[in-house]
Amino acid sequence: MLRFLLRRSLGAVVILFLLSIVAFLLFFGMPRDPALLMCGKTCTPANLENLHHVLGLDKPIPEQYWIFLTNLVMGSDDFAQGPCPAPCFGYSYHSNEQVWGTLMDRLPATVSLTLGGAVFFLVIGLGTGLIAAWKRGTIVDKTFTAGAMVISSMQIYFLGPLALAILVYQTHVFDKPAYNEFTENPGAWFSGLIIPWVVLSTIFASQYTRMARSSMIEQLQEEHVRTARAKGMSRRYVFLRYAWRGSLIPIVTIFGIDLGSLLGGAIITEYTFGLPGLGRLAVESVFFSDLPLLLGVMLFSATMILLCNIVVDAAYAFIDPRVRLA
Amino acid sequence: MWIRFKRDRTGVISAYVVAFFFLVGLLAPVIANLYGKNPYTVYADERPELFDSAGVPVQPNGGISGEFWFGLEPGNGYDVFTKLLYGIRTSLMISVAVTLATVLTGILLGVTAGYLGGRADYWISRVIDFLLAFPAQLFFIASMPVVVSLFVSPRDETPVYVRVVALILVQWFLGWMSLGRILRGTTLALREREFIDAAKVSGAPPGRIIRKEILPNVVTPILVQGTYMLPNFVTAEAGLSFLGVGIVEPTPDWGQMFAKASTELVMQNDITYMFFPGISMIVFIVAFNLLGDSVRDAFDPKTAR
Repeated sequence: MLRFLLRRSLGAVVILFLLSIVAFLLFFGMPRDPALLMCGKTCTPANLENLHHVLGLDKPIPEQYWIFLTNLVMGSDDFAQGPCPAPCFGYSYHSNEQVWGTLMDRLPATVSLTLGGAVFFLVIGLGTGLIAAWKRGTIVDKTFTAGAMVISSMQIYFLGPLALAILVYQTHVFDKPAYNEFTENPGAWFSGLIIPWVVLSTIFASQYTRMARSSMIEQLQEEHVRTARAKGMSRRYVFLRYAWRGSLIPIVTIFGIDLGSLLGGAIITEYTFGLPGLGRLAVESVFFSDLPLLLGVMLFSATMILLCNIVVDAAYAFIDPRVRLA
Repeated sequence: MWIRFKRDRTGVISAYVVAFFFLVGLLAPVIANLYGKNPYTVYADERPELFDSAGVPVQPNGGISGEFWFGLEPGNGYDVFTKLLYGIRTSLMISVAVTLATVLTGILLGVTAGYLGGRADYWISRVIDFLLAFPAQLFFIASMPVVVSLFVSPRDETPVYVRVVALILVQWFLGWMSLGRILRGTTLALREREFIDAAKVSGAPPGRIIRKEILPNVVTPILVQGTYMLPNFVTAEAGLSFLGVGIVEPTPDWGQMFAKASTELVMQNDITYMFFPGISMIVFIVAFNLLGDSVRDAFDPKTAR
């Protein structure tokens, strides 16, 4: 187990390193001058020169990248804005705040949205999927399957504004979604996030319904399930103890991928509901051409994805004893 | 195969629906011409009597009338019907281009990796692994301005075709891996079959073997994957335009209509407007997914649903 974790972590570090090179080249190596954008309309050549120097953009690209890497690992005191302890992604061009600090500020909203949404969509999705498989071929199954098909074809950028328009702007049942600290006011935290949770989990749950159903049906055709039934075990016992466990494996894989990408910033959801999370931060940093911030979000998000993948692979060993981690 | 598909009623109906959307996109200028309007006319300026002071259509249901079938867009007052037609046209055009590009790349790299094996296979597989670890959506929004800036300087107005090309490029870059991986696996299995050995023994060069022996045998996974990929590209492109990094006004685009629909003005005053892009996209995606399932069933009747 330990060896597996170590090897996978090393692999993840290599991928992150390569990703940082690609992202760095993409943002800093292109024929686009971030200083020019910062400098604005009233830009004199001297100002521009000065900005280049302050931002370290007058150095060759490999050197810039090297400085970025050493700052990341060791921290740096060379920034004009003040010291920057490791992990140092530098200072934002736009707000002049530390990138790492900004990321940590935005993380709680994203985590709240993701975990709350995940609870909703796992319970609803797996529940309806199981019921559909249990009642396979009946009207219940057909309703669930058809419903899941249609809902999973919806997009957050349609369902989100629709929910907002109906629940907030037209009927005023709810307040506009907002993020409040859980520690300060749990009630406001919950009521501010309920619409985003429901919208996010409606769309995700429908995918899990379809997956859980087909995976269950596949498992029910396995030989060990048939043997258990033939031995005289009750349908319910076989269903819940035998088939359920086997059907979890593909679901865990997808759940890991979904969780990772949501934790790295549920971009469209956060943007739709105006939640101050990582995804919205990414969109903002694109609009302001805030390269250090963008690079920070990107690497952070990739780390989340890779981390979740490793956790998922490790979780296999617990669910499926046949899997050997080597 | 064709006969099996034709027997599948759901598949045939959804094929008609999908074909209808493509036809609408293709014939958008013709339809708009017959209808007598275009999606660029700012009716808020031309016919100010149709709007109130906030720019919301005066008539109920978003200004739906015999003259404006789907109503008028709040704000600038574009005609929604023609805007939707042209929006579908833009989105489908981009998505088809992305699908073609990814399929070509997938074939090229996947079949090469699978057929050559050895070092080429190793490196192509590593590249696929690496690109799959990319946070895709984040990469799209981050690289859109960068790719655009490759073509135009930030001070100039960005022409529409540059945005279209950039959208195609970024989606293509992270879109081909799944198909590439599948084709690699299929080719790997095909390579060991006798008919390939026979071709080799009879002295056929590798290029000919790939063209004449391998490619005809990987048409099935390509078609199946292709029908799954295209709707994904449509929604991804719409998502980018929704976030404001894709196609921007005044060029009509499906996703950009969603962006308009999520503004406070629309949510507060004109819910009807939301449903036109919303419902049409749901119908399209549902039909395309059903079509994808039917195509898969027709090619591969063994897998049960």
